[in-house]
Amino acid sequence: MMRRISFIATVAVLMLAAVAAYGHHSYAATYDTSKEVKLQGKLIQFVFRNPHSYVTLQAPDDKGAMQRWSVEWAGTSQLSNRGITQETLKINDAITIVGRPSRVPGEYRLLMVNLTRPADGFSWGTRAGEIVD
Amino acid sequence: MDNAGRSRMTVRLVFLAVALSISLSSYAQPARPATPPDIAGEWVLQSNEDPGQIGGQGQPTLGYYLGIPFNDAGRMRADTSAESLWGTPEYQCRPHSAPHQWRGLGGARILKEVDPLSSEVNAYHIKFMRSLDWPVYMDGRPRPPAWAPHTWSGFSTGEWIGNTLKITTTHLKDGYLRRAGPQTSDMYTMTDLITRHGDTITVVTVIDDPIYQDEPFLQSTTYQADLNATTNWETCNASSFAENGGTNRHWVPHFLPGQNTGLTEWLKGEKWIPEAAARGGVKTIYPEYRATFNGSVKAADLKVPSSKSAVNVSKAIADQAPRDGEVHVLPVQGNIYMLIADGNNVTVSIGAEGVLMVNTGTAAMSDKILAAVRQLVNEPPKPNQCFGVNCSGTVGWSSPFINNAISSPTPSKPLRFIINTSAAPENVGGNQKIGTTGFFPRGGGFGAAIASPGRTAQIIAHENVLFRMSAPASPTSKEPAYPTAAQPTDSYFDEFHKLPEYFNGEAVIVYHEPAANTDGDSIVFFRHSEVISAGNIFSTVSYPIIDLEKGGSLQGVIKGLNHILDLSVAEYRSQGGTWIIPGRGRLSDTADVASYRNMVTIIRDRVQDLIDKGMTLEQVKAARPTMDFDGRYGADTGSWTTTMFVEAVYKSLKEKK
Repeated sequence: MMRRISFIATVAVLMLAAVAAYGHHSYAATYDTSKEVKLQGKLIQFVFRNPHSYVTLQAPDDKGAMQRWSVEWAGTSQLSNRGITQETLKINDAITIVGRPSRVPGEYRLLMVNLTRPADGFSWGTRAGEIVD
Repeated sequence: MDNAGRSRMTVRLVFLAVALSISLSSYAQPARPATPPDIAGEWVLQSNEDPGQIGGQGQPTLGYYLGIPFNDAGRMRADTSAESLWGTPEYQCRPHSAPHQWRGLGGARILKEVDPLSSEVNAYHIKFMRSLDWPVYMDGRPRPPAWAPHTWSGFSTGEWIGNTLKITTTHLKDGYLRRAGPQTSDMYTMTDLITRHGDTITVVTVIDDPIYQDEPFLQSTTYQADLNATTNWETCNASSFAENGGTNRHWVPHFLPGQNTGLTEWLKGEKWIPEAAARGGVKTIYPEYRATFNGSVKAADLKVPSSKSAVNVSKAIADQAPRDGEVHVLPVQGNIYMLIADGNNVTVSIGAEGVLMVNTGTAAMSDKILAAVRQLVNEPPKPNQCFGVNCSGTVGWSSPFINNAISSPTPSKPLRFIINTSAAPENVGGNQKIGTTGFFPRGGGFGAAIASPGRTAQIIAHENVLFRMSAPASPTSKEPAYPTAAQPTDSYFDEFHKLPEYFNGEAVIVYHEPAANTDGDSIVFFRHSEVISAGNIFSTVSYPIIDLEKGGSLQGVIKGLNHILDLSVAEYRSQGGTWIIPGRGRLSDTADVASYRNMVTIIRDRVQDLIDKGMTLEQVKAARPTMDFDGRYGADTGSWTTTMFVEAVYKSLKEKK
């Protein structure tokens, strides 16, 4: 057993100390963070909550078919620090979202990179610190 | 990682190794100390071996299997599992799986439950940020039977061995061994060895999961006492929608074999780690593996002193539905009991209006089932609970409980209904013997029975069950497969049938699940007790039986499982709430059915993909699309083998049923 423990310790030298995230799932495992998808559509739901908020968007996929896209955003504390509230986004808002796509083929979910609302110039994700953590 | 970082990490890990060795040497001490260390209090996470920062964002990456003694099934399961599963409605509130609980941020709170007279610790209760209560019983109570439910915290007992508290946990749900891929089955045993050194505790955790591992997996965590700490608490904020997008609420995210292209992404920044080592496996975790780096030894030829699993998994699975010729009783919820009758589950509702049974077991078990039901119905009156004229319900000068003390019990209410969920022999075998002990009044007035069908319980089933039971037993026979007294007295043809009135104070609804195991399957929903009797659509001991000759189909089984999920609601954090009694196996909840539905759906998608690639049945079998689930649900012998299941899946999909 000691031989095994010492080897585990040796291998573990190459690992880093644990800093487990508060989010229950791993972003890197859920989303392909090397890719971006841009959607333009209509907001049909905004769930403002912890650990992560969700924006649901009716927008076309790459074949032009309309889909319900679920976009994972930051939690309430992080968004509140930027002045965002439950009232910031309204149903039927025309918005543009850039996000990281799901790694699972056929899934209509994104990790928010930035959101803009052309009607009034509102945006999130374009300034320092505005990333989903 | 830079050199400074590696140096810091080396110091940490040397400390960890020392802590581990202290823990394990303590574990070897047999004596329980007179005054065991007190581990109660608030603890903050200090360190562990998790790959927290590799891949960025402080979260684990895909394909990080270092140190995991995976077998082939475990590696396949990890490769094809999608983290996106967290977004499905059934799992959004899922707590961290037990192996990860010590590793999540937020701290740990350990409370103790003390006997007021002896001051002995009866139990510890451990709580994390994303967890349910984790009781650790120190009072020597026995483990629950194998047919009891599995939970996220499992069932834990503790004992002091020297200065180390050894916690043994069974009855755990399936989940993840490490986030972002590596999974556990629901058959693992977890052992935690907690040792206190001043204000530090080390927790060495051994996960023994023979379904997915060639030997037990070991990990460790250290915590620091902090009087000012408060364990964080995250409430469940699940959505009414699937976080996965789209409109299919039954979507099951997963990767087809070979489709998960992100498994080696993290190695691009860690080029010194051999890819083969990153894939895990028992050989990769021993020092001897170093010899493979220079090519002097091939991994295939390497011998390592691996330890064996202490879990007899075949027996553990079989024990959930024991073929022991006995009837075991498990109280479920509300009016409902689960009878495990020689491995087949019978659901029983008992109340003021009488008895309702869902299925009657095999004919051979009828006498023992009847005896068990009578024992439940004839529960003796409770001892007097109050005294004198202040008792509620008092009439006259004495307490009504006096009558309990001086009279014999009132006659029990009779069996009124039997509901058959299919025509399978294990579901209808006892109909005749058990049904004729019951009485459902059909007329005659003033309580008398009419001549026909006589004094018998009402037997309800889908009409395809009646057709099958009343049809000739064989092409050359004129006799029906079952005598009239065993056949359903009341059949239904629609998508559901509900009892027209409450029974035992609740609505009872029978739903038809078309073309599932057969063409006549039903599930039964007890709407107030919050229990679903699932019949053969759901089993925790085998793949679903799909009888194509009798109108069954894979898609029908999946639809039936999804229907159960649509009707069910968890009590909290994907646990409890609606209980589901499988045709065979342990009592389950929504998360268990979701896990089973996921498994069947994943196999469907894999086989469909192979069919789309033009593969024949033999080629599909050779591709082993069920390999990572075979250890849990498969069989090489018996009436329903893995081969038969794969054939049924293939044919069902080819026929587009």
